[in-house]
Amino acid sequence: MSTAVSPGPSSTTSANDHPQGIAPLRAGQGHEFFWRRLHSLTGIIPVGAFLFEHILISNATAINGATAYAHQVRFLGSLPFVLGLELLGIWLPIAFHALYGFYIWYRGRANLISYPWMGNWMYSLQRWSGAIAFAYIIWHTYTMRFTGVDLHEVPGASFGKVQHELFVTPLFLFYVIGLVAASWHFAYGIWLFCAKWGITVGERARQKFLYICIAFFFLLSAVGLASMTKFRSTPQQCTDQPCADQIEQAK
Amino acid sequence: MADTQTVKLKIKRQDGPKAQAHWEEFEIPYKSGMNVISAMMDIAANPVTKDGKTTTPIAYDSNCLEEICGSCAMLINGKARMACSALVKNLEQPITVEPLSKFPLVRDLAVDRNVLFENLKKVKAWVPVDGTYDLGSGPRVTPQKQEQAYPLSNCISCTICMEVCPQFNESTGFVGAATISQVALFNDHPTGAVLKEERLHALMGDGGIHECGYAQNCVESCPKGIPLTRSISRVAGQVMLQTVKDIFSR
Ligand code: HEM
Repeated sequence: MSTAVSPGPSSTTSANDHPQGIAPLRAGQGHEFFWRRLHSLTGIIPVGAFLFEHILISNATAINGATAYAHQVRFLGSLPFVLGLELLGIWLPIAFHALYGFYIWYRGRANLISYPWMGNWMYSLQRWSGAIAFAYIIWHTYTMRFTGVDLHEVPGASFGKVQHELFVTPLFLFYVIGLVAASWHFAYGIWLFCAKWGITVGERARQKFLYICIAFFFLLSAVGLASMTKFRSTPQQCTDQPCADQIEQAK
Repeated sequence: MADTQTVKLKIKRQDGPKAQAHWEEFEIPYKSGMNVISAMMDIAANPVTKDGKTTTPIAYDSNCLEEICGSCAMLINGKARMACSALVKNLEQPITVEPLSKFPLVRDLAVDRNVLFENLKKVKAWVPVDGTYDLGSGPRVTPQKQEQAYPLSNCISCTICMEVCPQFNESTGFVGAATISQVALFNDHPTGAVLKEERLHALMGDGGIHECGYAQNCVESCPKGIPLTRSISRVAGQVMLQTVKDIFSR
Protein backbone atom coordinates (compact mmCIF):
# COMPACT_ATOMS: atom_id res chain seq x y z
CA MET A 1 0.00 0.00 0.00
CA SER A 2 1.31 3.41 -0.75
CA THR A 3 -0.31 5.83 1.65
CA ALA A 4 1.49 9.11 2.10
CA VAL A 5 3.56 9.05 5.24
CA SER A 6 4.72 12.09 7.15
CA PRO A 7 8.10 13.17 5.82
CA GLY A 8 10.76 11.38 7.78
CA PRO A 9 14.46 12.21 7.65
CA SER A 10 15.23 9.03 5.74
CA SER A 11 12.97 9.14 2.71
CA THR A 12 15.05 7.34 0.15
CA THR A 13 12.58 7.16 -2.73
CA SER A 14 13.92 8.55 -5.96
CA ALA A 15 10.90 10.81 -6.36
CA ASN A 16 12.04 12.61 -3.24
CA ASP A 17 15.59 13.48 -4.16
CA HIS A 18 14.85 17.19 -3.95
CA PRO A 19 14.68 19.17 -0.70
CA GLN A 20 11.72 18.52 1.57
CA GLY A 21 10.51 22.09 1.73
CA ILE A 22 7.97 23.44 4.19
CA ALA A 23 6.34 20.86 6.42
CA PRO A 24 2.62 20.19 6.13
CA LEU A 25 0.21 20.84 9.01
CA ARG A 26 0.96 18.76 12.10
CA ALA A 27 -2.66 17.97 12.90
CA GLY A 28 -3.15 16.91 16.50
CA GLN A 29 0.45 17.68 17.43
CA GLY A 30 2.15 20.30 19.57
CA HIS A 31 1.13 23.14 21.85
CA GLU A 32 1.76 26.20 19.70
CA PHE A 33 -1.96 26.90 19.44
CA PHE A 34 -2.16 27.40 23.20
CA TRP A 35 0.90 29.64 23.45
CA ARG A 36 -0.01 31.68 20.40
CA ARG A 37 -3.53 32.34 21.61
CA LEU A 38 -2.23 33.11 25.10
CA HIS A 39 0.12 35.66 23.54
CA SER A 40 -2.80 37.21 21.72
CA LEU A 41 -4.94 37.27 24.87
CA THR A 42 -2.24 38.69 27.14
CA GLY A 43 -1.90 41.57 24.68
CA ILE A 44 -5.48 42.59 25.57
CA ILE A 45 -5.80 41.28 29.13
CA PRO A 46 -3.93 42.12 31.25
CA VAL A 47 -1.25 44.07 29.32
CA GLY A 48 -3.64 46.15 27.20
CA ALA A 49 -6.03 46.71 30.08
CA PHE A 50 -3.09 47.95 32.14
CA LEU A 51 -1.97 50.32 29.38
CA PHE A 52 -5.54 51.66 29.14
CA GLU A 53 -5.61 52.37 32.88
CA HIS A 54 -2.06 53.69 32.92
CA ILE A 55 -2.54 56.28 30.18
CA LEU A 56 -6.23 57.16 30.30
CA ILE A 57 -6.76 57.11 34.08
CA SER A 58 -3.68 57.17 36.32
CA ASN A 59 -1.38 59.40 34.34
CA ALA A 60 -4.23 61.55 33.11
CA THR A 61 -4.82 62.62 36.73
CA ALA A 62 -1.54 64.54 36.42
CA ILE A 63 -3.59 67.04 34.43
CA ASN A 64 -5.30 67.87 37.74
CA GLY A 65 -1.98 68.71 39.36
CA ALA A 66 0.64 67.27 41.71
CA THR A 67 -1.70 66.56 44.61
CA ALA A 68 -4.30 64.70 42.55
CA TYR A 69 -1.47 62.72 41.00
CA ALA A 70 -0.08 61.86 44.43
CA HIS A 71 -3.49 60.63 45.53
CA GLN A 72 -3.79 58.38 42.49
CA VAL A 73 -0.34 56.92 43.17
CA ARG A 74 -1.23 56.44 46.82
CA PHE A 75 -4.42 54.65 45.78
CA LEU A 76 -2.54 52.30 43.46
CA GLY A 77 0.12 51.67 46.09
CA SER A 78 -2.54 50.91 48.69
CA LEU A 79 -4.24 48.16 46.67
CA PRO A 80 -4.22 44.83 48.50
CA PHE A 81 -1.45 42.46 47.38
CA VAL A 82 0.21 45.23 45.34
CA LEU A 83 3.34 43.24 44.76
CA GLY A 84 1.32 40.19 43.69
CA LEU A 85 -0.78 42.35 41.38
CA GLU A 86 2.29 43.93 39.85
CA LEU A 87 4.02 40.59 39.45
CA LEU A 88 1.18 38.46 38.12
CA GLY A 89 -0.94 41.20 36.56
CA ILE A 90 1.74 43.25 34.82
CA TRP A 91 5.36 42.13 34.85
CA LEU A 92 4.93 38.45 34.11
CA PRO A 93 2.33 38.95 31.35
CA ILE A 94 4.37 41.73 29.71
CA ALA A 95 7.53 39.65 29.93
CA PHE A 96 5.74 36.71 28.35
CA HIS A 97 4.03 38.77 25.64
CA ALA A 98 7.24 40.58 24.79
CA LEU A 99 9.57 37.59 24.76
CA TYR A 100 7.12 35.37 22.92
CA GLY A 101 6.47 38.34 20.62
CA PHE A 102 10.17 38.43 19.69
CA TYR A 103 10.00 34.69 19.11
CA ILE A 104 7.01 35.15 16.75
CA TRP A 105 8.89 37.92 14.99
CA TYR A 106 11.97 35.71 14.61
CA ARG A 107 9.86 32.96 13.02
CA GLY A 108 8.23 35.24 10.43
CA ARG A 109 9.78 36.11 7.05
CA ALA A 110 8.81 39.70 6.33
CA ASN A 111 8.53 40.41 2.59
CA LEU A 112 7.62 44.10 2.47
CA ILE A 113 9.97 44.79 -0.44
CA SER A 114 8.21 42.35 -2.76
CA TYR A 115 4.71 43.02 -1.46
CA PRO A 116 4.45 46.58 -0.11
CA TRP A 117 0.77 46.42 0.77
CA MET A 118 -1.06 48.05 3.71
CA GLY A 119 -1.66 44.94 5.78
CA ASN A 120 1.90 43.81 5.21
CA TRP A 121 3.20 47.18 6.43
CA MET A 122 1.07 46.84 9.52
CA TYR A 123 2.43 43.33 10.08
CA SER A 124 5.96 44.72 10.21
CA LEU A 125 4.92 47.82 12.14
CA GLN A 126 3.33 45.61 14.81
CA ARG A 127 6.74 44.04 15.36
CA TRP A 128 8.77 47.27 15.33
CA SER A 129 6.31 49.15 17.54
CA GLY A 130 6.47 46.23 19.98
CA ALA A 131 10.25 46.42 20.06
CA ILE A 132 10.23 50.19 20.65
CA ALA A 133 7.62 49.79 23.38
CA PHE A 134 9.77 47.06 24.91
CA ALA A 135 12.88 49.27 25.10
CA TYR A 136 10.79 52.08 26.52
CA ILE A 137 9.02 49.91 29.10
CA ILE A 138 12.34 48.54 30.41
CA TRP A 139 13.75 52.05 30.86
CA HIS A 140 10.55 53.45 32.29
CA THR A 141 10.07 50.65 34.87
CA TYR A 142 13.70 50.76 35.86
CA THR A 143 13.80 54.50 36.51
CA MET A 144 10.29 54.95 37.92
CA ARG A 145 9.81 51.79 39.93
CA PHE A 146 13.24 50.50 40.85
CA THR A 147 15.46 53.56 41.29
CA GLY A 148 15.18 56.86 43.18
CA VAL A 149 12.41 57.63 45.67
CA ASP A 150 10.07 54.68 46.28
CA LEU A 151 6.70 56.14 45.29
CA HIS A 152 4.80 53.53 47.27
CA GLU A 153 6.46 55.03 50.36
CA VAL A 154 6.30 58.69 49.31
CA PRO A 155 3.40 59.15 46.84
CA GLY A 156 3.79 62.93 47.15
CA ALA A 157 7.11 62.72 45.28
CA SER A 158 5.49 61.21 42.16
CA PHE A 159 4.88 64.38 40.18
CA GLY A 160 8.37 65.72 40.79
CA LYS A 161 10.00 62.40 39.99
CA VAL A 162 8.33 62.28 36.59
CA GLN A 163 9.28 65.92 35.99
CA HIS A 164 12.96 65.16 36.63
CA GLU A 165 12.80 62.82 33.63
CA LEU A 166 10.59 64.87 31.34
CA PHE A 167 12.58 68.11 31.72
CA VAL A 168 15.48 66.35 30.00
CA THR A 169 14.49 66.94 26.38
CA PRO A 170 16.00 63.77 24.83
CA LEU A 171 14.25 61.73 27.52
CA PHE A 172 11.01 63.60 26.84
CA LEU A 173 11.33 62.66 23.15
CA PHE A 174 11.99 59.06 24.14
CA TYR A 175 8.79 59.18 26.21
CA VAL A 176 6.82 60.56 23.28
CA ILE A 177 8.15 57.86 20.93
CA GLY A 178 7.47 55.17 23.53
CA LEU A 179 3.94 56.46 24.04
CA VAL A 180 3.12 56.59 20.36
CA ALA A 181 4.64 53.16 19.68
CA ALA A 182 2.82 51.50 22.57
CA SER A 183 -0.46 53.23 21.68
CA TRP A 184 -0.28 52.12 18.05
CA HIS A 185 0.76 48.61 18.99
CA PHE A 186 -2.17 48.29 21.38
CA ALA A 187 -4.75 49.97 19.13
CA TYR A 188 -3.85 47.94 16.03
CA GLY A 189 -3.43 44.94 18.34
CA ILE A 190 -7.10 45.16 19.29
CA TRP A 191 -7.95 45.13 15.59
CA LEU A 192 -5.68 42.10 15.06
CA PHE A 193 -7.17 40.34 18.03
CA CYS A 194 -10.72 40.76 16.72
CA ALA A 195 -9.71 39.56 13.25
CA LYS A 196 -7.80 36.58 14.62
CA TRP A 197 -10.39 35.44 17.12
CA GLY A 198 -13.23 35.54 14.63
CA ILE A 199 -14.98 38.59 16.09
CA THR A 200 -14.77 40.88 13.04
CA VAL A 201 -15.47 38.39 10.27
CA GLY A 202 -16.64 40.51 7.36
CA GLU A 203 -14.53 42.85 5.22
CA ARG A 204 -16.74 45.83 6.03
CA ALA A 205 -16.77 45.03 9.73
CA ARG A 206 -13.00 44.88 9.72
CA GLN A 207 -12.73 48.11 7.74
CA LYS A 208 -15.02 50.00 10.10
CA PHE A 209 -13.40 48.57 13.17
CA LEU A 210 -10.04 49.72 11.83
CA TYR A 211 -11.29 53.32 11.91
CA ILE A 212 -12.40 52.83 15.50
CA CYS A 213 -8.99 51.43 16.44
CA ILE A 214 -7.21 54.33 14.72
CA ALA A 215 -9.42 56.75 16.66
CA PHE A 216 -8.48 54.89 19.84
CA PHE A 217 -4.80 55.26 18.93
CA PHE A 218 -5.25 59.04 18.66
CA LEU A 219 -7.11 59.12 21.96
CA LEU A 220 -4.34 57.24 23.78
CA SER A 221 -1.62 59.38 22.20
CA ALA A 222 -3.44 62.65 22.81
CA VAL A 223 -4.23 61.99 26.45
CA GLY A 224 -0.69 60.74 27.04
CA LEU A 225 0.75 63.85 25.40
CA ALA A 226 -1.56 66.11 27.39
CA SER A 227 -0.34 64.53 30.62
CA MET A 228 3.29 64.93 29.58
CA THR A 229 2.70 68.55 28.63
CA LYS A 230 1.29 69.17 32.09
CA PHE A 231 4.45 67.80 33.70
CA ARG A 232 6.58 69.99 31.46
CA SER A 233 4.55 73.17 32.00
CA THR A 234 4.42 72.93 35.80
CA PRO A 235 7.38 74.26 37.86
CA GLN A 236 9.58 71.47 39.22
CA GLN A 237 7.91 69.92 42.29
CA CYS A 238 9.98 68.62 45.20
CA THR A 239 10.67 64.93 45.78
CA ASP A 240 12.28 65.07 49.23
CA GLN A 241 10.42 63.83 52.25
CA PRO A 242 8.78 66.60 54.32
CA CYS A 243 8.04 68.72 51.25
CA ALA A 244 6.61 65.79 49.23
CA ASP A 245 4.33 64.84 52.10
CA GLN A 246 2.94 68.37 52.02
CA ILE A 247 2.05 67.95 48.33
CA GLU A 248 0.25 64.75 49.18
CA GLN A 249 -1.63 66.35 52.07
CA ALA A 250 -2.58 69.57 50.26
CA LYS A 251 -6.22 69.82 49.23
CA MET B 1 14.86 50.86 -38.69
CA ALA B 2 11.15 50.53 -38.07
CA ASP B 3 11.90 47.64 -35.77
CA THR B 4 9.29 45.02 -35.09
CA GLN B 5 8.48 45.07 -31.40
CA THR B 6 10.42 42.60 -29.28
CA VAL B 7 10.02 41.23 -25.79
CA LYS B 8 12.92 40.91 -23.39
CA LEU B 9 12.77 38.20 -20.76
CA LYS B 10 15.18 37.27 -18.01
CA ILE B 11 14.49 33.77 -16.81
CA LYS B 12 15.99 31.91 -13.88
CA ARG B 13 17.14 28.45 -14.90
CA GLN B 14 18.13 25.50 -12.79
CA ASP B 15 18.70 22.03 -14.19
CA GLY B 16 17.59 20.19 -11.08
CA PRO B 17 17.03 20.51 -7.33
CA LYS B 18 20.74 20.40 -6.54
CA ALA B 19 22.07 22.25 -9.58
CA GLN B 20 23.30 25.85 -9.59
CA ALA B 21 20.76 28.45 -10.61
CA HIS B 22 21.64 30.90 -13.37
CA TRP B 23 19.90 33.55 -15.43
CA GLU B 24 19.26 33.42 -19.16
CA GLU B 25 18.09 36.36 -21.22
CA PHE B 26 15.86 36.13 -24.24
CA GLU B 27 14.63 38.58 -26.82
CA ILE B 28 11.75 37.38 -28.96
CA PRO B 29 9.28 39.02 -31.37
CA TYR B 30 6.14 40.38 -29.76
CA LYS B 31 2.80 38.89 -30.75
CA SER B 32 -0.46 40.55 -29.92
CA GLY B 33 -2.11 39.16 -26.79
CA MET B 34 1.12 37.52 -25.70
CA ASN B 35 1.38 36.31 -22.11
CA VAL B 36 4.34 34.92 -20.18
CA ILE B 37 3.43 31.29 -20.97
CA SER B 38 2.98 31.91 -24.69
CA ALA B 39 6.30 33.77 -24.69
CA MET B 40 7.95 30.70 -23.21
CA MET B 41 6.23 28.53 -25.81
CA ASP B 42 7.83 30.68 -28.48
CA ILE B 43 11.18 30.27 -26.73
CA ALA B 44 10.65 26.48 -26.71
CA ALA B 45 10.03 26.60 -30.47
CA ASN B 46 13.39 28.32 -30.91
CA PRO B 47 15.44 27.99 -27.73
CA VAL B 48 18.15 30.55 -28.39
CA THR B 49 19.24 33.16 -25.85
CA LYS B 50 19.62 36.85 -26.52
CA ASP B 51 23.35 36.28 -27.16
CA GLY B 52 22.61 33.63 -29.79
CA LYS B 53 23.49 30.68 -27.58
CA THR B 54 21.37 27.57 -28.10
CA THR B 55 19.76 26.38 -24.91
CA THR B 56 17.06 24.01 -23.71
CA PRO B 57 13.36 24.83 -23.62
CA ILE B 58 12.26 26.15 -20.23
CA ALA B 59 10.57 23.69 -17.88
CA TYR B 60 7.41 24.97 -16.21
CA ASP B 61 3.98 23.76 -15.15
CA SER B 62 0.99 24.98 -17.09
CA ASN B 63 -2.15 23.58 -18.51
CA CYS B 64 -5.36 25.51 -19.11
CA LEU B 65 -3.95 28.94 -20.04
CA GLU B 66 -7.08 30.59 -18.69
CA GLU B 67 -6.32 30.94 -14.97
CA ILE B 68 -8.45 28.02 -13.96
CA CYS B 69 -6.07 25.08 -13.44
CA GLY B 70 -3.70 26.76 -11.02
CA SER B 71 -0.52 25.26 -12.50
CA CYS B 72 1.51 28.19 -13.75
CA ALA B 73 2.08 30.27 -10.62
CA MET B 74 5.56 31.82 -10.67
CA LEU B 75 7.39 35.00 -9.70
CA ILE B 76 7.00 37.54 -12.46
CA ASN B 77 8.88 40.77 -11.95
CA GLY B 78 9.33 39.69 -8.35
CA LYS B 79 5.68 39.02 -7.56
CA ALA B 80 3.86 35.71 -7.38
CA ARG B 81 1.14 35.48 -10.00
CA MET B 82 -0.31 33.26 -12.71
CA ALA B 83 1.91 33.36 -15.79
CA CYS B 84 -0.98 32.71 -18.21
CA SER B 85 -2.83 35.84 -17.19
CA ALA B 86 0.35 37.94 -17.02
CA LEU B 87 -0.01 39.85 -20.28
CA VAL B 88 3.31 40.91 -21.71
CA LYS B 89 2.01 44.32 -22.80
CA ASN B 90 1.27 45.20 -19.16
CA LEU B 91 4.68 44.14 -17.82
CA GLU B 92 7.82 46.15 -17.36
CA GLN B 93 10.72 44.79 -19.41
CA PRO B 94 12.93 42.87 -19.17
CA ILE B 95 10.35 40.57 -17.63
CA THR B 96 12.05 38.60 -14.88
CA VAL B 97 10.64 35.14 -14.35
CA GLU B 98 11.58 32.99 -11.37
CA PRO B 99 10.13 29.88 -9.75
CA LEU B 100 8.05 30.22 -6.57
CA SER B 101 10.57 30.53 -3.76
CA LYS B 102 8.98 28.50 -0.99
CA PHE B 103 8.50 25.13 -2.66
CA PRO B 104 11.10 22.49 -3.50
CA LEU B 105 12.40 23.12 -6.98
CA VAL B 106 12.02 20.44 -9.61
CA ARG B 107 13.51 22.16 -12.62
CA ASP B 108 13.64 25.73 -13.97
CA LEU B 109 10.21 27.17 -13.08
CA ALA B 110 8.61 23.90 -12.02
CA VAL B 111 8.24 23.44 -8.28
CA ASP B 112 6.73 20.71 -6.12
CA ARG B 113 3.61 22.08 -4.46
CA ASN B 114 2.63 18.80 -2.85
CA VAL B 115 2.51 20.42 0.60
CA LEU B 116 -0.88 21.94 -0.26
CA PHE B 117 -2.25 18.52 -1.15
CA GLU B 118 -0.91 17.14 2.13
CA ASN B 119 -2.51 20.00 4.04
CA LEU B 120 -5.88 19.47 2.35
CA LYS B 121 -5.71 15.82 3.36
CA LYS B 122 -4.83 16.77 6.94
CA VAL B 123 -8.00 18.86 7.26
CA LYS B 124 -10.15 16.38 5.34
CA ALA B 125 -11.13 18.94 2.73
CA TRP B 126 -13.87 16.85 1.19
CA VAL B 127 -17.51 15.86 1.55
CA PRO B 128 -17.62 12.26 2.82
CA VAL B 129 -20.12 10.45 0.62
CA ASP B 130 -18.38 7.14 -0.02
CA GLY B 131 -20.31 4.10 1.20
CA THR B 132 -21.12 0.52 0.37
CA TYR B 133 -24.63 1.38 -0.68
CA ASP B 134 -26.44 4.25 -2.33
CA LEU B 135 -26.74 7.02 0.26
CA GLY B 136 -29.48 8.78 -1.68
CA SER B 137 -29.51 12.47 -2.37
CA GLY B 138 -27.97 14.78 0.20
CA PRO B 139 -29.66 17.61 2.08
CA ARG B 140 -30.72 20.64 0.10
CA VAL B 141 -28.27 23.50 0.01
CA THR B 142 -30.06 26.84 0.15
CA PRO B 143 -29.26 29.42 -2.51
CA GLN B 144 -27.86 31.65 0.25
CA LYS B 145 -25.41 28.95 1.28
CA GLN B 146 -24.53 28.30 -2.35
CA GLU B 147 -23.70 31.94 -2.80
CA GLN B 148 -21.39 31.83 0.19
CA ALA B 149 -19.76 28.61 -0.96
CA TYR B 150 -19.25 29.51 -4.60
CA PRO B 151 -16.38 31.99 -4.22
CA LEU B 152 -14.56 29.58 -1.91
CA SER B 153 -15.00 26.74 -4.38
CA ASN B 154 -13.11 28.83 -6.94
CA CYS B 155 -9.76 27.98 -5.34
CA ILE B 156 -7.39 26.62 -7.99
CA SER B 157 -4.66 25.44 -5.59
CA CYS B 158 -2.11 27.74 -7.20
CA THR B 159 -0.36 28.28 -3.79
CA ILE B 160 0.17 32.00 -4.45
CA CYS B 161 -1.47 32.82 -1.08
CA MET B 162 1.15 30.63 0.57
CA GLU B 163 4.10 31.99 -1.39
CA VAL B 164 3.29 35.61 -0.44
CA CYS B 165 2.55 34.88 3.23
CA PRO B 166 5.31 35.96 5.66
CA GLN B 167 4.17 33.27 8.05
CA PHE B 168 4.39 30.43 5.51
CA ASN B 169 7.99 29.33 5.96
CA GLU B 170 10.21 26.52 7.19
CA SER B 171 10.15 27.79 10.76
CA THR B 172 6.38 27.86 11.27
CA GLY B 173 5.22 25.26 8.77
CA PHE B 174 2.03 27.32 8.56
CA VAL B 175 -0.80 25.58 6.75
CA GLY B 176 -1.63 28.67 4.66
CA ALA B 177 -4.79 30.49 3.61
CA ALA B 178 -5.95 28.12 0.84
CA THR B 179 -6.39 25.17 3.18
CA ILE B 180 -8.12 27.25 5.85
CA SER B 181 -10.52 28.60 3.25
CA GLN B 182 -11.33 25.05 2.15
CA VAL B 183 -12.12 24.24 5.77
CA ALA B 184 -14.61 27.13 5.71
CA LEU B 185 -16.11 25.73 2.50
CA PHE B 186 -16.52 22.15 3.69
CA ASN B 187 -17.65 23.09 7.20
CA ASP B 188 -20.48 25.06 5.59
CA HIS B 189 -21.60 22.13 3.49
CA PRO B 190 -24.48 20.27 5.16
CA THR B 191 -22.90 16.88 4.53
CA GLY B 192 -19.31 18.06 4.81
CA ALA B 193 -20.14 19.41 8.28
CA VAL B 194 -19.92 15.94 9.84
CA LEU B 195 -16.15 16.37 9.74
CA LYS B 196 -16.22 19.91 11.12
CA GLU B 197 -14.81 19.06 14.56
CA GLU B 198 -12.03 16.98 13.06
CA ARG B 199 -11.07 19.82 10.73
CA LEU B 200 -11.04 22.36 13.54
CA HIS B 201 -8.94 20.08 15.73
CA ALA B 202 -6.52 19.57 12.86
CA LEU B 203 -6.13 23.35 12.54
CA MET B 204 -5.17 23.55 16.24
CA GLY B 205 -2.07 21.46 15.58
CA ASP B 206 1.36 23.03 15.10
CA GLY B 207 1.42 25.08 11.93
CA GLY B 208 -2.32 25.63 12.27
CA ILE B 209 -4.55 28.67 11.96
CA HIS B 210 -2.95 30.45 14.92
CA GLU B 211 0.20 31.04 12.86
CA CYS B 212 -1.67 33.60 10.76
CA GLY B 213 -0.22 37.07 11.39
CA TYR B 214 -2.94 38.80 9.39
CA ALA B 215 -0.57 40.53 6.98
CA GLN B 216 -3.35 39.98 4.40
CA ASN B 217 -1.02 39.41 1.45
CA CYS B 218 -3.12 36.35 0.65
CA VAL B 219 -6.28 38.28 -0.29
CA GLU B 220 -4.28 40.92 -2.07
CA SER B 221 -2.69 38.39 -4.38
CA CYS B 222 -5.33 35.68 -4.84
CA PRO B 223 -5.90 35.46 -8.62
CA LYS B 224 -9.46 34.27 -8.04
CA GLY B 225 -10.36 37.06 -5.62
CA ILE B 226 -11.33 34.60 -2.90
CA PRO B 227 -12.20 36.34 0.41
CA LEU B 228 -9.38 34.53 2.20
CA THR B 229 -9.17 36.77 5.25
CA ARG B 230 -12.91 36.38 5.77
CA SER B 231 -12.41 32.61 5.67
CA ILE B 232 -9.54 32.83 8.13
CA SER B 233 -11.52 34.96 10.58
CA ARG B 234 -14.58 32.74 10.27
CA VAL B 235 -12.67 29.51 10.78
CA ALA B 236 -10.66 31.12 13.59
CA GLY B 237 -13.96 31.87 15.31
CA GLN B 238 -15.08 28.27 14.81
CA VAL B 239 -11.77 27.07 16.25
CA MET B 240 -12.17 29.29 19.33
CA LEU B 241 -15.75 28.09 19.91
CA GLN B 242 -14.55 24.52 19.54
CA THR B 243 -11.83 25.24 22.11
CA VAL B 244 -14.39 26.50 24.61
CA LYS B 245 -16.58 23.48 23.89
CA ASP B 246 -13.62 21.17 24.41
CA ILE B 247 -12.73 22.78 27.73
CA PHE B 248 -16.19 22.13 29.13
CA SER B 249 -17.12 18.87 27.48
CA ARG B 250 -14.00 16.81 27.17
C1 HEM C 1 2.75 48.04 25.65
C2 HEM C 1 2.63 46.76 25.87
C3 HEM C 1 1.98 45.85 24.82
C4 HEM C 1 0.66 45.72 24.54
C5 HEM C 1 -0.50 46.46 25.19
C6 HEM C 1 0.54 44.76 23.47
C7 HEM C 1 -0.65 44.35 22.91
C8 HEM C 1 -0.77 43.54 21.83
C9 HEM C 1 -2.00 43.12 21.24
C10 HEM C 1 -3.39 43.49 21.74
C11 HEM C 1 -1.71 42.33 20.17
C12 HEM C 1 -2.70 41.68 19.23
C13 HEM C 1 -2.83 40.23 19.43
C14 HEM C 1 -2.42 39.42 18.25
O1 HEM C 1 -2.03 39.97 17.20
O2 HEM C 1 -2.48 38.21 18.31
C15 HEM C 1 -0.30 42.27 20.07
C16 HEM C 1 0.38 41.57 19.08
C17 HEM C 1 1.73 41.46 19.02
N1 HEM C 1 2.65 41.92 19.95
FE1 HEM C 1 2.22 43.09 21.54
N2 HEM C 1 1.78 44.32 23.12
C18 HEM C 1 2.70 44.97 23.91
C19 HEM C 1 4.07 44.80 23.88
C20 HEM C 1 4.74 44.03 22.97
C21 HEM C 1 6.16 43.88 22.95
C22 HEM C 1 7.12 44.54 23.93
C23 HEM C 1 6.45 43.03 21.91
C24 HEM C 1 7.83 42.59 21.51
C25 HEM C 1 8.28 42.67 20.30
C26 HEM C 1 5.21 42.68 21.26
C27 HEM C 1 5.07 41.87 20.15
C28 HEM C 1 3.90 41.58 19.50
C29 HEM C 1 3.79 40.87 18.26
C30 HEM C 1 4.93 40.29 17.45
C31 HEM C 1 2.42 40.80 17.95
C32 HEM C 1 1.80 40.21 16.68
C33 HEM C 1 1.48 38.77 16.86
C34 HEM C 1 1.00 38.17 15.57
O3 HEM C 1 1.10 38.77 14.51
O4 HEM C 1 0.51 37.05 15.64
N3 HEM C 1 4.19 43.29 21.94
N4 HEM C 1 0.26 43.00 21.10
